[in-house]
Amino acid sequence: MSDASQLPPPVLAVDNLRVAYGARVAVGGVSFRIDRGEIFGLLGPNGAGKTSTLSAIEGLVKPKSGRSLIDGIDTVQHPLEAKARLGVQLQSSSFQAELSIEQIAKLYAGLYGVHLSREQIDASMRTIGLDAELGKRFKQLSGGQQQRMALYIATIHEPLLLLLDEPTAGLDPQSRRALWQRIEQARGAGRSILLTTHSMEEAQAVCDRVAIIDHGALLTTGTPAELIEKHKDDPRVLEVAHGPVTLEDVFIGLTGSEIRD
Amino acid sequence: MIDPQSDTVRPPLGLAMRSLLRADAIVLLRNRVSATLSILLPIVIVVATSLGARTARLGGAELTIGLALTIGLITSCVLGYSLNLAHDREVGVLQRLRVTPAPTWMIMTSRLCVQVVTNLIASIVVVIVGVIVHGLTPTVGQYALVLAVAVLGAAVFLAIGQALVGLVPSTSAVNAIGRVLFIILVLLGIIGSTGILGDTVKSISGWSPVGALMTLFSDVLGGAAWNNQDIYSLLACAGYIIGFAFIGIRWFRWETR
Repeated sequence: MSDASQLPPPVLAVDNLRVAYGARVAVGGVSFRIDRGEIFGLLGPNGAGKTSTLSAIEGLVKPKSGRSLIDGIDTVQHPLEAKARLGVQLQSSSFQAELSIEQIAKLYAGLYGVHLSREQIDASMRTIGLDAELGKRFKQLSGGQQQRMALYIATIHEPLLLLLDEPTAGLDPQSRRALWQRIEQARGAGRSILLTTHSMEEAQAVCDRVAIIDHGALLTTGTPAELIEKHKDDPRVLEVAHGPVTLEDVFIGLTGSEIRD
Repeated sequence: MIDPQSDTVRPPLGLAMRSLLRADAIVLLRNRVSATLSILLPIVIVVATSLGARTARLGGAELTIGLALTIGLITSCVLGYSLNLAHDREVGVLQRLRVTPAPTWMIMTSRLCVQVVTNLIASIVVVIVGVIVHGLTPTVGQYALVLAVAVLGAAVFLAIGQALVGLVPSTSAVNAIGRVLFIILVLLGIIGSTGILGDTVKSISGWSPVGALMTLFSDVLGGAAWNNQDIYSLLACAGYIIGFAFIGIRWFRWETR
């Protein structure tokens, strides 16, 4: 018989998380967990509460109630210890405009307690195809290069959990595919990943499980195939489907067809 | 729940602080316009006032150098520091730093330390140029006191700059209000101190940040004996530091949302 107390904690456990900005509730009691080596996608229209959920896990906003544990560590009670286990790629990656790529790498390595030699930086940059851009500033890179650099910085300390907020937004198909590969590689290296996205194609291509969130509440959770199976007979889904039900049909059926700003 | 102390994954603070200091120093040095203005403007003042024979009308060479040093500090702290901080907040640089395990106090302390060191270097340059062109011969002790007052002045204007960024969320508004504040502080300190706007304004001027610092700079450069006015000026500066730093910390927001 297995003893549950001997099992490692989930990499991320979010329990009844509630985030509000003044009177406006952005996240109203969300719960989910991510296991080791799992890629979990948070899908939702604009303003659904995806980024607010991530912000609470990252420690950027203090939840009104509930909690999130990274590797068993409470992100509110022990924020620095939790952040040390976390790699983050924000929606808009902003590094100091005056710093070169190499200087940014050194800064963030230092913040995570990683000593990086020039040779190690060179090798890393070769791996992500930025070795020729080492002296350039972040803003001088193309969109795809910026995303690769941001993902490199997010993984510079080999974190347990990666939080990626719309990592492929604005990328061309080639760059998007290349980034999916890197996300897969990160999982291959034993990391767990929580990503938010608007792209159903992306969710199906890279996520083991997805959750659909809207108006601050999780509507459904499961593998992409499970969600299609579970909701294929839902009248709201059938109404928007044009042929066999897809994940996008499920998404639009559950969250509505109106355009969100 | 796991005890985080049992697992030593929290990075060493020393390495994080060194990394931040190095990055902030590079950022400040690459902001050439800001760095040049905060040194060039005071040097222009001390050189220009040495060309005529009527420096005494401005209160003497010591007061002129004190004025130049004070204007350099205002330019660097109220305009430069606050604007850079507001800009980094608006574009998300501060958010990116905040998701790392570096404590927030460290992110801010690093910026302040780099700013104070830069102000000290600028002040040394201005004083050296000032004493040469005005023919003064201060002692080593006087130089040391000037540097101490420069640190005090930097603290006063950094606290004012911090309060500005704390109270005003938008970068463009920080820029506009910073410029207006610069003009008010300088005019109050200079014109107010002449007495042409009346005794009340003169009295206010003496207690203003610029007035208090000019008094201290002037007295330490002139080798005057420590007097009540210096004590009042010192107390005023301490009051400004505590008051504005409180406002700047209490109401500071790391994001503009």
